[in-house]
Amino acid sequence: MSLLKSVKQNLRVIFMAFEIEFRQSFTDAFVLFGIIVQPMIVAFMALWMLRDQVADYAIFVVVGSGMTGLWTTLLFQGGNSITGERWTGTLEPLSCAPAPLRAVVSGKLLASISQSLLSIAFCYTFISLMMGLPVSIAKPWLFAGSILLTVVAFIAFGLIIGSLFILNPDVQRFQNGLEFVVYIFSGFLFPIALLPMWTTPLSYILTPYWAARALHAASSGSGSNGEIYFCWAMLIAFSVVYAIASKFLFKSILRKAREDATLNMQ
Amino acid sequence: MEKLKLNIKIFFEGAYLSYVGLFRWLRPTTYLATLVFSPLTQMLFFVLIGTYAQGNDKAYFYVIGNALMNAAMSGIYGVTMSIGGDRWDGTLPYLFGAPANRMMVFLGRAFMHILNGMIGVLIGLMWGWLLFHMDFSATNPLALLLTILVTTFSTAGLGLLMGCIGLITRNVMFVNNTVYFVLLVFSGANLELSTLPKWMQVVSNYLPLTRGIASARAIIAGHGLADVSRLLVEEFGIGLFFALLGYTLFRWFEVTAKKRGTLEVF
Repeated sequence: MSLLKSVKQNLRVIFMAFEIEFRQSFTDAFVLFGIIVQPMIVAFMALWMLRDQVADYAIFVVVGSGMTGLWTTLLFQGGNSITGERWTGTLEPLSCAPAPLRAVVSGKLLASISQSLLSIAFCYTFISLMMGLPVSIAKPWLFAGSILLTVVAFIAFGLIIGSLFILNPDVQRFQNGLEFVVYIFSGFLFPIALLPMWTTPLSYILTPYWAARALHAASSGSGSNGEIYFCWAMLIAFSVVYAIASKFLFKSILRKAREDATLNMQ
Repeated sequence: MEKLKLNIKIFFEGAYLSYVGLFRWLRPTTYLATLVFSPLTQMLFFVLIGTYAQGNDKAYFYVIGNALMNAAMSGIYGVTMSIGGDRWDGTLPYLFGAPANRMMVFLGRAFMHILNGMIGVLIGLMWGWLLFHMDFSATNPLALLLTILVTTFSTAGLGLLMGCIGLITRNVMFVNNTVYFVLLVFSGANLELSTLPKWMQVVSNYLPLTRGIASARAIIAGHGLADVSRLLVEEFGIGLFFALLGYTLFRWFEVTAKKRGTLEVF
């Protein structure tokens, strides 16, 4: 099969998975909570706590709270993207289908992350219209570029999280706690300089950290263009690393399904 | 006398079995992840935002507020799942078919979660002592324990009401999460109530946890039981009100569902 044909087929699978996931999850109240309610409540609290203390705090809170929505959705929707198939009994048929499982999961992740971008839109609307605070984006083009790379990086990260959760359910038991861990280590609403020095490498290996840094710098104008480009480079580099690592993890998932027949056991 | 003994037996058996039913399928790691790790990360997140905005002197404010939020975690999520679990697991018809005293059955669902919540709050305060060197030298331990007991009772009262709502809606987690996050804002766990708009202060006055958190802060600062007794009585009253409201809804649900044959309709 030619490479072009293979790419076309994979894109079709990604698009189909995207469409189904998008339609399904928009009727899920839990998803809507993660996208709309929780980020707005976090935004309100952060706004109240940081007002008069941090320069450009309104746009800082918009981006930071929106990022919490993005991460929460990725963690719960993306994290369950494969486990959810196990719960509904469709994982084994899916792993035996000729369509690559990674393409299916990528499509599902794309749907979840696209929806979660609404978090930023809701936080923006909430803070600018309802709270009446001036919110403007200092570098709109760089902000748009950062959003695009954030989506790609989050998909790659989601491939890792989703496969780790299914391969080792003990990791998934910490799903709730991981929500705030990444809020903390990624510096969504405060700089990671507040954390002990030994935690800094942990932040550096998280794509949400580079995404938050790029988006904060582009939105408030606090960072130079060079800093934003550096964050983009890190997002691309980690996306490639995660994508390669996910290939091995998915191989392991398929082996468990096809050879060991233990995939459905939790 | 026999009837009283029977009712007490139903209360404690119901309390124990519903709790075991909720956690028996879990491993210790799940319990630890839910009750130790997750609350710790939430506490760290808000303490770090708070200290970023207002300096390290304010750390205790956030530690105490978030430690007491652990009462809500058990009280709302645990109790709701204990009551709603009867519907999801298909045991509701047996429960409503049994001649057992409904009040005992209903209140028994909250009993273990009150103990659980107390342990959660104590663990939260222990984190405050270990990580933020919280000073308990002026604290009256018995007064603090009583405060924690009353606060966990009042949040469990709200949980009983939420559990009944769980019997009539499919989106119980949406309701639970929203209520939990609303408490996070309105209870004063992370925001100084006096700085909030007037209408929010009025709402917070009618919610559980508000007075419990205020009492805990006062007691840890060195005040005696007499200073907070009024707050504790009111906190208890609010919890009792929600529990009775929940019980009324529970009875109404039973009568209506039996009459219409909608006991297991989702």
